[in-house]
Amino acid sequence: MNTSQELPLKVEGLVKSYGAVKAVQDVSFEVLPGEVYGLLGPNGAGKTSIISTIVTLERPTAGGVRIFGHDVCKHPTKAKSLVGWVPQEVINHGFFDVDEILDFHAGYFGKTLSLTEKDLLLERLDLKRHREKKVKQLSGGMKRRLMIAKALCHQPRLLLLDEPTAGVDIDLRRSLWDFVKELKAQGVAILLTTHYLEEAEELCDRVGFISHGKILKMGPTREIVQNLTKKTIHLFLNDGKNVTLSVPMSQGVFEAVKEAGIDALSIADIKITEGDLEDAFRYVMREERP
Amino acid sequence: MNFKPFKSLLRREVHRFLKVAVQTVVTPLINSSLYLLIFGISLGKSIHVEGGGSYLAFLIPGLVMMACLNNSFQNSSSSIVGSKFGGDLEDFKAAPLTPQNLIWAYSLGALFRGLIVGLLTFAVGQIFFCVSEGQLLPIHNVFVLFLFLVIGSFSFAQLGICVAFWAKSFDQLSAVSGFILLPLIYLGGVFYSIGNLHPFWQAVSRANPLLYLINGVREGILGHSDVDLGVAFAVAFMGFLVTYGFAYYSLKRGSYLRW
Repeated sequence: MNTSQELPLKVEGLVKSYGAVKAVQDVSFEVLPGEVYGLLGPNGAGKTSIISTIVTLERPTAGGVRIFGHDVCKHPTKAKSLVGWVPQEVINHGFFDVDEILDFHAGYFGKTLSLTEKDLLLERLDLKRHREKKVKQLSGGMKRRLMIAKALCHQPRLLLLDEPTAGVDIDLRRSLWDFVKELKAQGVAILLTTHYLEEAEELCDRVGFISHGKILKMGPTREIVQNLTKKTIHLFLNDGKNVTLSVPMSQGVFEAVKEAGIDALSIADIKITEGDLEDAFRYVMREERP
Repeated sequence: MNFKPFKSLLRREVHRFLKVAVQTVVTPLINSSLYLLIFGISLGKSIHVEGGGSYLAFLIPGLVMMACLNNSFQNSSSSIVGSKFGGDLEDFKAAPLTPQNLIWAYSLGALFRGLIVGLLTFAVGQIFFCVSEGQLLPIHNVFVLFLFLVIGSFSFAQLGICVAFWAKSFDQLSAVSGFILLPLIYLGGVFYSIGNLHPFWQAVSRANPLLYLINGVREGILGHSDVDLGVAFAVAFMGFLVTYGFAYYSLKRGSYLRW
């Protein structure tokens, strides 16, 4: 088996059309073992269509998806057994309680969840006290955590998180971030879609910016921020004047000050604002506009 | 081969209808009991049965099969439509469950419900028959009885899968059940023998596949019916194969996306 076959996720030339509408246009990317890859884009960019194709909810119009080397169209059962999926919208599950939902879900993946495994999972996601509740009796945050517990109950090596923190409070968001970092440390490959660019910057090793079904920019998060954003240097001078310099992220402060012809001794105070992923995202989206 | 995914879905299907047993078992049983009371006991005395015998004895097999078919259809179709509404169906698609796993889990879940309601209807019918005739209604051939109950239940469960995948709303589902299936069941000889009909209507009735399923069960319980047993089995088996094909196609090509 060569390296490309062992990749947790490989999306190659994926096209998904709904009639005349092209939701995904020739998208290619891969997720490496133990990597968090962020797919970022506005609403309707095609993120969920890509994830739906990976979990076979949608059939690709062209191109393909491989999970650990298994083509999702040719060998769907094998491919899907290796993936955990947290959908964007909460699933209701009607009459069943949390315990039953996890038992059934693990069973669909051919696994019997032992009581210890289930307890650990429920404890980690702070759901142990709610194990006898039905989905409609859970709060919004608990529902989200249940979706994550379900996705993890068969211990997948690839996890698809489709806007997992949409609509959850800051504390829960932070605790989910910690959880994602734990999974990453355990070697789980993660594909994350999110609207929160702060979240992507915190969690993702690499990101892809997507708009109108096309990936516009892709690369290591740090590199993208470094290359596409600027550093803003606010200089407060001794004579009461303020000067603002906008320089590339790679440029040093003293070099920038020197280039601007400002005497270092005339500076009373300096405030530096570094560019972030949101700035890079805005830049790429602006560039894309006709 | 790992049967765990199939067994888990089957367990879910059975748990699902047992959790709302009042709605899925008790209510249909009350309906069947009312039919037995009104048609079998009250009106039955004045109804002539072709070839003699009591009308209640004639009615019981028809009601058993009607209960079994209706509940099998309702079980698979309402489970899938409920899952479309709640989103579980997306879960099933994203899991390594094959169309075969889904067909058999839904069909066996439906069979359990169909058999429970059908056999309870038979038990209630026996009570009415015992009160009315002073003895229990003997079963002529248990194998034939169960053969037709199982084939009929599977076929209707598979039909439920097709309709649920085709339907875009609860209204469409009820329309198929109320405007197509129920009339076919009623006109399939549940309440009357086609021997009492005009030859033209007899010929029309013979085009209704449900006539053969219902009369198969009647043959199993009473030992005689309106149709030849071999023909009844052939039609029932063909029905099973056709509905299986459509159900497989629905699960393979249909949309699992939530409403």
